Amino acid sequence: MSAEPLLTGRTLSLGYHRQALIRGLSFEVRRGEIWGIVGPNGSGKTTLIRAMLGLLKPLNGTVERKAGLAVSYMPQRESIDAILPVTALEVVLMGRTARAGALRRVHSEDLDAARRALGLVGGESLGGRLYRDLSGGQQQRVLLARAIASDSEMLVLDEPTAGMDVASEAAMMAFLQELNRSQKLTIVIVTHLLQVVLNLATSVMLLGTHSILQGPLDQVLQEQSLTELYGAPVHIGAIAGQRTLVVGRPGAQGV
Amino acid sequence: MFEQPFIWLALIASSATGAALSIMGTYLVIRRVVFMGLVLASAATVGAAGAQIFHWPPELGSIAATVATALGLGAIPTPRRISAESVMGWAYAAASAATVLILAGAPGADLDELHLLYGNLLAVSVSHAVGLVVLALVIVLVQILFGRRFLLVTFDSEAARVAGVNTTLWSLSLSLLIGIATAASVHEIGALLTFSLLTLPPTASLLAMRSIQSTFGVSATLGVLLACLGVVVSFYLDLPPGPTSVALLAVSVPLAALVGRRRDAMPRPADKPA
Repeated sequence: MSAEPLLTGRTLSLGYHRQALIRGLSFEVRRGEIWGIVGPNGSGKTTLIRAMLGLLKPLNGTVERKAGLAVSYMPQRESIDAILPVTALEVVLMGRTARAGALRRVHSEDLDAARRALGLVGGESLGGRLYRDLSGGQQQRVLLARAIASDSEMLVLDEPTAGMDVASEAAMMAFLQELNRSQKLTIVIVTHLLQVVLNLATSVMLLGTHSILQGPLDQVLQEQSLTELYGAPVHIGAIAGQRTLVVGRPGAQGV
Repeated sequence: MFEQPFIWLALIASSATGAALSIMGTYLVIRRVVFMGLVLASAATVGAAGAQIFHWPPELGSIAATVATALGLGAIPTPRRISAESVMGWAYAAASAATVLILAGAPGADLDELHLLYGNLLAVSVSHAVGLVVLALVIVLVQILFGRRFLLVTFDSEAARVAGVNTTLWSLSLSLLIGIATAASVHEIGALLTFSLLTLPPTASLLAMRSIQSTFGVSATLGVLLACLGVVVSFYLDLPPGPTSVALLAVSVPLAALVGRRRDAMPRPADKPA
């Protein structure tokens, strides 16, 4: 029996000022899945997740969320203005207090959960430091900890590895996979890098300029379809047990 | 000087407006919309001018115009092609022009009598002083109860909205409070000191402090102390109290920047688990 759907989009047209960037898109995100939404800059990735999150009204169609679905959102780091002198721990605590009533004070279990979440992302030592003083990668980890601390059913992460070195990126992907496995957390990742979700996602949605491919990872990740989508030869291979891909120059032959 | 009742009333009004405006102004500074303070002060002037035409109390006109402006600016999204500052510039220009045009079309109307630019701190009535103290207490209470929620909405509005927080309601509530505090203050301390209290103590505090709690605390303390000090200094030097307070507030900003730089340069203990 397949898992219950948490988020369902039906014949969606999405865009701004009546200009559709995405047309006729339908999808279903089920509990426990890891979705990778991938596409080049300007393909409508952020527009799509804004619609998924209820931040953007579709031009046409509907997005249905399971009743009472608790979603956490990790935006792109650059979208947050770090002028506020708040510590990393205070940022993570916001993930807890956002769901609580406006008058509820911070309890010791909130502090414990926030510290635990920081520990999970390897940020134990960051808690007392000002968020604005952290490096880009550290800020990413703090924002991820905030999303985790809220005990949501679904995480939506917008470019979670932006600004990270390759080792941190690999660690982040491994951590998300473990989180999905151990806590049955549903995860939606938006990235412009196909490599980021290649060894992580169970399903993938590829947003191209003229077409959208979506489905289980192995069905969508075909060299021919990717070559058509990107307009350049794409080759998929494996190194050290990890899938990887190479994009050649348009018209080039061989790998 | 302290045997004079009007001095006490001036000090009470300075303390109350200093606390209320400095706390609310901290949100304007961290949201990078400091010119909203200037726009709201100008809206209070338009309201007072409009009220003169209809022979209404000027305070009523100011509160209506300021609250409407605060809610309007809070509710209208900034167009993507321009910055929030441009919207503030537009609103300021429109409000200033409206004041002049309303007065030109209303013979006998005179804003100078209302002391809206520099205020008339030495003529604050007992009832107005009590009203300002009540307003300050309400703002302090709201900050204690809901400050965390205002910060949540300010830090990352979209993540808060996804988590189920009614960000529109909280943002409009904040704008409403700022509008009321501004309108109530302009009539007693003038537009110049009102704008200065909204922006300079929070700016100084953000430059010197390294935690959000101390930022609000120091901002309110600076607002109260320097507004009152301005009254005392102006009495002894025979200067107008409003501009004297503004001068002291202005001096506090570079001093705070020096304090902040010294604190940043001091060695901090090694990172440890929170």
